Amino acid sequence: MKFFHLVWRNVFRKKLRTILTTGSIVLVLVLIVVLVSLLQAMEADPSGGKGSNRLVVQHATGLGNFLTLSQRQRIEQIPGIAALTPEVWFGGVYKDDRPENFFGQLSCDPEIFFKVFDDATIDPKIEKTFRENRNSFVAGQKLAEKFQWKPGQHIILKGTYIPITLDLVYAGSYRAGDESSIFFSNEVLNQSKWAGANKFTGIYYLKVGNREDIPRVVTAIDKMFENSDAPTKTMTEKQFQLQFMEMMGNVKGLIRIISLVILFAVTLIVANTVAMSARERVTEIAVMRTLGYRRSHILSFILSESVVMALLGGVLGVLLAKYFFIPGMVKGMETSPMAPFLLNFKVTIPTLAAAFGVSVGVGVLAGFVPAIRSSQVRIVDGLRQVV
Amino acid sequence: MAIPLKYNLRNLAVRKVSTGMTVLVVGLVVAVFLFVLALWQGVERTLSVTASTRNVLAMRVGAQAEMQSVVTRDQSEMIQALPGIERNSRGEPMASPELLILINLLRADGKTTNVLVRGLAPVGLEMRPVRMTEGRMFNAGTNEVVVSRNLGHRFASMKIGDAIKTGAYRWVVVGYFDAAGSAYESEIWTDVKDLQAQSKRPILSSVFVRTPDSASAQRFIQTIAGDQRLKLEGKTEKKYYEEQMVTGAPLKVLAILVGVFTAVGAAFGAMNTMYAQVSARTREIGTLRAIGFTKGAVLSSFLLEGALLCLIGGVLGTLVAFVAFNLILTRPTGTMNFRTFSEVLFNFRLTPPLVAAGMVFSLGMGLFGGFFPAWRAARLKIVTALREV
Repeated sequence: MKFFHLVWRNVFRKKLRTILTTGSIVLVLVLIVVLVSLLQAMEADPSGGKGSNRLVVQHATGLGNFLTLSQRQRIEQIPGIAALTPEVWFGGVYKDDRPENFFGQLSCDPEIFFKVFDDATIDPKIEKTFRENRNSFVAGQKLAEKFQWKPGQHIILKGTYIPITLDLVYAGSYRAGDESSIFFSNEVLNQSKWAGANKFTGIYYLKVGNREDIPRVVTAIDKMFENSDAPTKTMTEKQFQLQFMEMMGNVKGLIRIISLVILFAVTLIVANTVAMSARERVTEIAVMRTLGYRRSHILSFILSESVVMALLGGVLGVLLAKYFFIPGMVKGMETSPMAPFLLNFKVTIPTLAAAFGVSVGVGVLAGFVPAIRSSQVRIVDGLRQVV
Repeated sequence: MAIPLKYNLRNLAVRKVSTGMTVLVVGLVVAVFLFVLALWQGVERTLSVTASTRNVLAMRVGAQAEMQSVVTRDQSEMIQALPGIERNSRGEPMASPELLILINLLRADGKTTNVLVRGLAPVGLEMRPVRMTEGRMFNAGTNEVVVSRNLGHRFASMKIGDAIKTGAYRWVVVGYFDAAGSAYESEIWTDVKDLQAQSKRPILSSVFVRTPDSASAQRFIQTIAGDQRLKLEGKTEKKYYEEQMVTGAPLKVLAILVGVFTAVGAAFGAMNTMYAQVSARTREIGTLRAIGFTKGAVLSSFLLEGALLCLIGGVLGTLVAFVAFNLILTRPTGTMNFRTFSEVLFNFRLTPPLVAAGMVFSLGMGLFGGFFPAWRAARLKIVTALREV
């Protein structure tokens, strides 16, 4: 520690060089934080584990097929189910066909919905409005903020695969891990001209009272409809969300590869800088050796310089990512096709901590080779060398 | 007079390690950039390759994908009776009533994904650029299907002779078809009447119509819109697939994001290298100025050196990308098509414009990274530069 001042002065011996190197570390770290947070936004369980006793029942051949509403009563008779609501994915067009105006639109049973979706918090007054006014809808708070909906405001959703147009009234917002969707009453669909009204539903969303009952309930439901016209596939909420992730294909792997390659690239940049600065100081290092500094001293000086630079980059990168780049980027992408992904986009402390850790790793890796090389130079060679 | 290029080349060669590292950094950055762009290009190509402006897709008003649309048999017959439809060699109107259903199947990697099953009329096969590469075409009335070779490999039981079973559906794969790498290669094809029977849906999703040319296609679309009984709308095949390109849009944003950040980062690295060069060669620069080379000559020489440094990296990165796409990533990859809610398969595509983009990208890094050091070199005072050790 007593040599820290020496290391610090050496780091800033060439200010511009240090600024540039730190700058590239900062940029790469910001990018890594963005990429990792994007991955998390896509794959994380939005309920944060609170949905572990919730199940989703869908048609055995996939979401492209409807279940029948007559199945509701039979499923409800299975012991262990605490609450159940049918849901239909409406998938309508809001405002225009642009991807940034896309959000989840689901119908549900307003009497039961928040009993199933119990990690959401909603003002009882809003829930009351939602239950009593057939045409009202509730929205995730982030989504409501994005479109600046005011209670009482009407929105028009033009149906795509359900050929009706909905006119819904905003009741208020709820808070939850996933705030990217709106919910309205099944009655809106049942009293419309839709051919599936009072006949079909997309999925059943249900809560099991006791987690141990899950395997039994899953088997009971799927067995019940095995040979019917609408065979079912029941899964946990997490498995249900995972199937969307699986459909996204190799995005996860892709982002991982990109992150690794750019980390390697930035390690090379830092290593190059440290090596350049060490090479320029060969004579000086030889002089230090003659004064009695050991090889191990030189090794730790050069290595520390690299680590200090990486730490600076790490701190700045994490801070800038959190408070400057990411808020700016989210703002800038509000009108881009990425917008629907960004609603659940959060930069978590563990991600930032990991990014910081990675920057330390970069510093150690990058400093290693130049540090060893500098410490191995023989004093005579060092003194003789003309730079 | 300009300083000879050989001076720069030899300078790059003499400091192998530093040059090598900078080249490697630029190469990696260019390779990553091309990788993401090639993904995006792959999606765009798949969705545009065979899409024609003379084919018209008639669907229910408001439907964004065929699967979301419902067309009744009456509506389909009315469409087929409209004027302006091209006729095939047997004199039949080239209009194929089709049904699409979405099913969830197990992939070979153990995960599940959604696939479209398309039921076509025999004339629908004539209207698409399809040829069988192995096995044979399905026969109507037998629940046979054909798939692309890529699909056959991507799914758990979709090789020729395999049976596909899901829910109440039972199909047998009898052949592999090739559809020029278009989105059709991500679908399972069967006879429309068989599919109606198996899915218990006596309806259709769309009617696919061929018109003589793109002008008559537009007229045909207006005819559909003008017919009050139909309540359908027409779109050219081209426009239909263009609308699906939102699928590739996030990849484009990702490419820009990754591109900008890594490019500036790598340019900083190149700038460091060039600054170090300028300070190491201060005396040399003084000498060059003293023997008559102008400030401009010094500036352009160092600028050129920085550009060369990065261009070599650009070439390296393009080579890496080329080798990776042609030797390692030859299998198609898939992503979700947001419109059809099914998986679309595509290959990485390294097109000439992309290669050019990669070069411009690396050159940009070189010019940006080289400019400030070159500026410093050009402004050195001859006397002080010569006095430098």
